[in-house]
Amino acid sequence: MNMLEIEDLHVAVQGREILKGINLSVRAGEMHAIMGPNGSGKSTLSYALAGREGYAITSGRMSYMGEDLAQLAPEVRAARGIFLALQYPVEIPGVTTMNFLKAALNAQRRARGESEFDALTVLRLVREKAASLRVPEEMLRRALNVGFSGGEKKRLEILQMALFKPSLAILDETDSGLDIDALKLVAEGINAMRAPDRGLLVITHYQRLLEYIVPDRVHVLADGRIVAEGGKELAHELEAKGYAGLAKDAA
Amino acid sequence: MTGQATAADHLLSQAFAAFASEPSGSGAMWLDQRRERALRNFRLAGIPHRRVEEWKYTDLRAALDAPQEPALADHAPGPLRDPFAAITGPRLVMNDGCFDWARSKADSCQAGIDVFDLATAGEMTPDWVKRNFGEVLAAGAMEQASLALMRGGLAMRVAAPSTIPVHLHFLHGASAVHGRVLIVVEEGASLVLLESHGGHSGISNLGMEIVLKPHAQMTHLRLAEAAPDAVQIEVVGIRVGRDARYQGHFSQKGARLSRLELWIWLHDKGAEAELSGASVLSGRLHADVTTRIDHVAGNTGSRQLFKHVAGGNSRTVYQGKITVRKGANGSDSRQTAKALLLGARAEADLKPELEILADDVKCAHGAAVGDLDADSLFYLRSRGLGEGEARSLLVRAFLQDAVAEVAREDARAAIWDFVESGLVEALGAQA
Repeated sequence: MNMLEIEDLHVAVQGREILKGINLSVRAGEMHAIMGPNGSGKSTLSYALAGREGYAITSGRMSYMGEDLAQLAPEVRAARGIFLALQYPVEIPGVTTMNFLKAALNAQRRARGESEFDALTVLRLVREKAASLRVPEEMLRRALNVGFSGGEKKRLEILQMALFKPSLAILDETDSGLDIDALKLVAEGINAMRAPDRGLLVITHYQRLLEYIVPDRVHVLADGRIVAEGGKELAHELEAKGYAGLAKDAA
Repeated sequence: MTGQATAADHLLSQAFAAFASEPSGSGAMWLDQRRERALRNFRLAGIPHRRVEEWKYTDLRAALDAPQEPALADHAPGPLRDPFAAITGPRLVMNDGCFDWARSKADSCQAGIDVFDLATAGEMTPDWVKRNFGEVLAAGAMEQASLALMRGGLAMRVAAPSTIPVHLHFLHGASAVHGRVLIVVEEGASLVLLESHGGHSGISNLGMEIVLKPHAQMTHLRLAEAAPDAVQIEVVGIRVGRDARYQGHFSQKGARLSRLELWIWLHDKGAEAELSGASVLSGRLHADVTTRIDHVAGNTGSRQLFKHVAGGNSRTVYQGKITVRKGANGSDSRQTAKALLLGARAEADLKPELEILADDVKCAHGAAVGDLDADSLFYLRSRGLGEGEARSLLVRAFLQDAVAEVAREDARAAIWDFVESGLVEALGAQA
């Protein structure tokens, strides 16, 4: 059984159709990359998978572990193991990063009928992951994402992924706006998540990230449709021809 | 009186008749003249209503005229708890508008603090009372009413820097009550005042005058809650002298009608005022915070940060007028007022006003009414927080910076507890 099965998915935002029939399946243990130019529908796909309000499925279907996703609230999807790293993580003043991590982790555990972690356990778990991602303690004491640099926000998204241990992780342009050191750090974080029981869907605009991570499959999205698919070599072809060239080939 | 005499006018004139029939204990010319003048002016102005511009969101006459719901006719008392109870310090109690020696612990005031019962004001009154009482606040109808119709009150003078906070607790019964407070902080002296209100179910109208002499400092923290049918009016006038500093925080849970007016005169250069506050409303409650800051002199500063949350059918009001007078160059004023609507039938009215007559000034202003940010809500839910938990976290985040303005840690904790307890109802009311 595929972990994620997307069949002929059409999604409209504010009455405008953005996704026009997406087919995609991800098996446990696989890493897929979705590439495409701005406005091709990459973020819409990630929001639809995570359950954001206002992303209406007009036809088609998304199933995760054999279950239809459409009716599930975002927090239910999170508790069942779907994680979305956002392109633009939101700043929340008044809530320290550490308290947020504890609240989120325990909300997911509660929803799964597991016992909550106490503050010390959460602190230990966070510290384990924080060190390798070079997230300093001081950042964890600050309000969530407030005043963080672009790189710090992205590192914190990866830290959350490592902490929540999702079954299906979707990363929406986590590589954008990073300098080369930060990019390597994020790529290491993604590679560390590869596991036989986990699927990864990495959305990116640039081929650059794919120098550090090796997807099993690459899909090219243009104007709400997948216009090309292949192995990791497709990314290099894309680099040479550009999105326009590839779309022409597909047509 | 203008227009038709209403039940509300009747109520106040009754209160006056009761006052006039008692021996006033004064007979002092200075006091009787000020009070007679206030009464004349109040009778001319009448009780404010929505056609008076400054009262258009807060119709006091309608609230006083409204028939009492039978269930509320016996005036269920408001909460009696003092939210600052955990903080040690001398305690002054105003009971139904009068200074209550028996309930107060005035003798634990530090050296350099004088307390005077305004019910005994007459010829023997200390000079610092005579010079200031009724002289700071004398323009608006309600402060004239409190001056004219008061039966007593409290005056306090601080002559030295004090570190122990002074509690000022108001107890109100079910009747119509007018009361007055005068606070004078002498040159170089300082005061931390913790003001709280309990058991309030009737109609109360308080006038508070504060005089800060050069280099004086005052921190004034006020938490107000009342029974749902109470009418709670408080007008505070603050005269800030050269290089003196006033810091005020005002958080409230509203009432049938609740109005807080802050009139601040930055009288001499270096004078500063910093105001912050949070309103947390649920049910059908109302809270109005109206500020007026007058930069009388140059090189004066004012800062305001008000965050108001309205759940259920409640209504929150903020009006803030800043005047920078001609020649008051080098003045700096900042004003932020934001409201968050949690109930579909809740209402927020924000009215910032700016009158700048000087050339070289800095003013930054922002006012906005909104709903919770959709991006933030989705972000938190995508991490597993339920919708209710995510909303409540964002509302707390919205209010947090207004409370963070309070520097004293013990007081800030008490204020946050107060705000949070109101939030439980405000958030619950939307479900």
